[in-house]
Amino acid sequence: MIMIALLVVSALGALAAFLPAQFARFVSTGLAALAFGLSLAMYATGAGFWHEYDKPWVPGLNLRFHLGVDGISWPLIVLTTLLTLLCCGYSLWKTPDSRLIGLLLAMQTGIVGAFLALDLVLFFVFFEVILLPMYAVIAGWGGPAKRAAARKFVLYTLFGSMLLLLGVYLVVDQTGSADLAAPKGTATMAAFVFLALGFAVKAPLWPLHTWLPDAHSEAPTVGSVMLAGVLLKLGTYGLIRVAIPVAPEAAAKAAPVLGGLAVAAILIGGLVCLAQTELKRLIAYSSVGHMGFVLLGIATMSATGLQAALIGNLAHGLITGLLFFLVGAIKDRTHTGELSQLGGLRDSSPWLAGILGFAALASLGLPGLAGFWGEAFAVIAAAQRGWWLGAALAAVGGALAAAYLLRMLRKVTHGSSPPRLTGPAGYELAAWVPLAVLTIAVGLAPLLITDVTGPAVDALVEAIQR
Amino acid sequence: MTFKLPAIDYLALAPMLVLFGAACAGVLVDALVPREWRYHVQVPLSLVALLASGGFVVALANRKEHVVTAGSAVVIDGPGLFLQGSIVVLGIVALFLVAERRLEPGGAFVAQAAVVAGSEADRKQMRKPGVTEVYPMMLFALAGMMLFCSANDLLTMFVALEVFSLPLYLLCALARRRRLLSQEAAVKYFLLGAFASAFFLYGVAMIYGYAGKVDFRGINEAVLGSSNSKTLLLIGLAMLAIGLLFKVAAVPFHVWTPDVYQGAPTPITAFMAACTKVAAFGGLLRVLYVAFERSSWDFRPTLGVIAAATMIVGAVLAVTQTDIKRLLAYSSVANAGYLLTGTLSMNRDGLKYTMFYLVAYGFTVLAAFAIVMLVRDSDGEATHLARWAGLGRRSPVFASLFTFLMLAFAGIPLTSGFTAKFGVFAAAVGGNMTWLVIIGVLSSMILAFPYLRVVVLMWLSVPGDDTPTVSVPGAFTAAALFVGVAMTLVLGVAPNQALELVNDAGAFLR
Amino acid sequence: MCGVDYLGSYRLLGLLLILGAAFFTVAFTANRLLSRRAPSAGKNATYECGIDPVGGDWAQAQVRYYVYAYLYVLFAVESVFLFPWAVTYALDGFGMVTVVEMAIFVAVLALGLLYAWRKRVLSWT
Repeated sequence: MIMIALLVVSALGALAAFLPAQFARFVSTGLAALAFGLSLAMYATGAGFWHEYDKPWVPGLNLRFHLGVDGISWPLIVLTTLLTLLCCGYSLWKTPDSRLIGLLLAMQTGIVGAFLALDLVLFFVFFEVILLPMYAVIAGWGGPAKRAAARKFVLYTLFGSMLLLLGVYLVVDQTGSADLAAPKGTATMAAFVFLALGFAVKAPLWPLHTWLPDAHSEAPTVGSVMLAGVLLKLGTYGLIRVAIPVAPEAAAKAAPVLGGLAVAAILIGGLVCLAQTELKRLIAYSSVGHMGFVLLGIATMSATGLQAALIGNLAHGLITGLLFFLVGAIKDRTHTGELSQLGGLRDSSPWLAGILGFAALASLGLPGLAGFWGEAFAVIAAAQRGWWLGAALAAVGGALAAAYLLRMLRKVTHGSSPPRLTGPAGYELAAWVPLAVLTIAVGLAPLLITDVTGPAVDALVEAIQR
Repeated sequence: MTFKLPAIDYLALAPMLVLFGAACAGVLVDALVPREWRYHVQVPLSLVALLASGGFVVALANRKEHVVTAGSAVVIDGPGLFLQGSIVVLGIVALFLVAERRLEPGGAFVAQAAVVAGSEADRKQMRKPGVTEVYPMMLFALAGMMLFCSANDLLTMFVALEVFSLPLYLLCALARRRRLLSQEAAVKYFLLGAFASAFFLYGVAMIYGYAGKVDFRGINEAVLGSSNSKTLLLIGLAMLAIGLLFKVAAVPFHVWTPDVYQGAPTPITAFMAACTKVAAFGGLLRVLYVAFERSSWDFRPTLGVIAAATMIVGAVLAVTQTDIKRLLAYSSVANAGYLLTGTLSMNRDGLKYTMFYLVAYGFTVLAAFAIVMLVRDSDGEATHLARWAGLGRRSPVFASLFTFLMLAFAGIPLTSGFTAKFGVFAAAVGGNMTWLVIIGVLSSMILAFPYLRVVVLMWLSVPGDDTPTVSVPGAFTAAALFVGVAMTLVLGVAPNQALELVNDAGAFLR
Repeated sequence: MCGVDYLGSYRLLGLLLILGAAFFTVAFTANRLLSRRAPSAGKNATYECGIDPVGGDWAQAQVRYYVYAYLYVLFAVESVFLFPWAVTYALDGFGMVTVVEMAIFVAVLALGLLYAWRKRVLSWT
């Protein structure tokens, strides 16, 4: 019931945008806060589904309204509602437009729905719902080249979801069931390939990532945060929840390919980042590298790897969300994102430089901060699997991350000192602080996450190795 | 030689007979009732006739007794009744659009079609109320469509084809505005339609040469057991298919579609897009499933290629359109491709979901054209897409509704478009036509673009000086719009009732 | 299996065609070879009743003719159905139903005529 309440609250928040403008955005933000509270309240422990709801919806199409939450999906749901709430709060002052907030909540409805869905068709339905609000956010509130970026985003994402749809057809046709709670696991390689490709576009896995930098650099700050923080997670979550369980044999065969592509993504993402001249594009490309680690973890199909992937997912959502908020703040003040024109942030705005440095360190995987655990354990899992070369290359990729982030820091914080910038506004601090605190918390006590995800991951690994 | 009087089950034929009778009465009304009263008599007459016809369809469906009647010329079976019912319901909604007279004084139809376009007399007649013959013509067309879906032999089918085509040719020519375009559309439609009819008839002759019979059951038996050369069968089938594919607007027989959709009065465009599609696919389904099921190995590859071409060409050309009516025309071409995909599954699911798709698409397209009718300036409907820029700011309600309809066309979940597409594609995967599904899925990705472009144009562009206003709909258009949008939503969110209905319709009676 | 026999009946037709074409060709060739020719410009002029033709060769026909032609064709074709009916309606098992059905059929035609009359198609003004 609480799951339905969460979806309904999100949807109501989206619909609230149609209320009179003066209080619509406050109603929506209030509902976003309520949704965050509900998602926290879903917490429980154990290996099975903490909450489950199953009702036939359209039997003719194999569509059941089957929702459930367990240790794998719960952290991501909380991350989604948290980031949505922060984005709503941020927009409340920054771009007081009830339509934007409504779209954010519409997106949240879709994302949470996809994380909750335990029916393949239902999953696809929610997966598709996300596309349009995101498109509208980019096309409506984006930068100068927003139309082109939005079009590219839609083209790629539609392409991905169409492949996914094909995979869904094949799975339903081959196994006769769209159940994700206890998948039959008899789908063939073809089905797995379609599903995996669909998720790879979303994740995005190199070489299907080229939509990401454009979408990020043109999207408004909250759009980037949602995109990097949550939307990309759908791809990796889909692999863990959908693609691997429905076709474990095919997944095992394809795992080395997936792992190889993931390592390539790590290296290429890092190298491309070194050559970036624009702040937002740089962060966007860094996502390609970070998601590469997550995918590497998934590709090992071991408990360690999947744990690493889940914690990496979460850490990336927190850190990249924070980074995009910060970059937004910098661009708002200096009106440019070009690295060559930035500089001297240390002098002009020490507090901004400080927190940017913190976020960059977290992003490069400094031990003690959230980014470390996911990447380190992905490499360990790869080594355990026997992929020594892959593990070594991924580690090199991690070093590359250090290189490009430090280069970015040097360019932005050091150098000639421009006039002083205004200090952080209350709404900005409200958006940053929770993310920074959580980054430290997860970094210091990863057990917070692994204890939650552990039982579910063990159950999953057992199921797919059966 | 002895003759026997064929037994006729009048109740089984009642839905069609009512409409034919009402159409004749409509002609009488037009001949005898004073001019100013005609509209007020014709509209209730047509509406009552359609309701009565629908009532008979429901009664027959409840009777659950499937009959072959009228000397085995007509078969009343589950799918036939479902299709007849859909035609009646969509016809009622289309009638609402046709009957609308508030948007434009005198309605969307011209007073005297034969007056030279652009002449003094033509300008003078702009103020006169439109012709009322449209109502009987519509009834004739609807009755013909219903007969087309339940014909049991190729000759009856041909007669029905003509009965519903001829009124449509005329109706296309009756637009009040842009007379030349409308007449051109009618001539094109007529000429190409005549060709298609000729092909169909030639195909009937070939099939008769092969099977020695024209009824579907006889053909089915002949396909199994005849020792005649198969060439005749294949040529005949190809010819028949050309005739039918012309009506469903499949590539390469689609070239008339954009011109006719653009030129015809918008209510008639809506009527054609919704009802003709149902009828044409109803006929195609029956021919392929009942008569030629056993040669499906012969026609599936060819028709599959046609379906693929239809989807791709329709989608790609829709991207380049700048006129909303032409855009919807190409989208209707692409949708014909999806419907063909469902049809070619050649299994029970294929039949089911194709019928479901027809209904879902019909309601959505009617509602979409209802909105096209509303967006107008002093010069009539503003159909150029550039004029729609910024419509979202001018009238958010209608822009929202149109956005919803566009999303339904694009097949976004929670709209009928998704349910329908999902159904036909799933059926095609089950029928081993996965390659066609891949093409379908890719083309529907392309096709999403023109729709999204319209949406973006409406919401994200700034309204210019020449952005037209959205007229307040009259009761009729409002009703049509409401029904169309509501059904698009219902069939997307809770399609169970409708799916049960198509499921209960069962299979064709052979 | 049906090769020779099947083609047999067509062989005669083919022969007839060839003969006809040959007759035509021979006659005209003979004419060409035997006749004397003295071409002149006058001989190529369009000749009609001894009067020189004037004006263009496109003529506009009154649209009313079409309406009449349509009505005629309509009734001419429909009457075809009356003949077989006339033979069978008196047979056993046909009777009243058949008469009524034909009456409906004729009534529909009459309706068309009534409509044409009311729309003043029949008056020539």
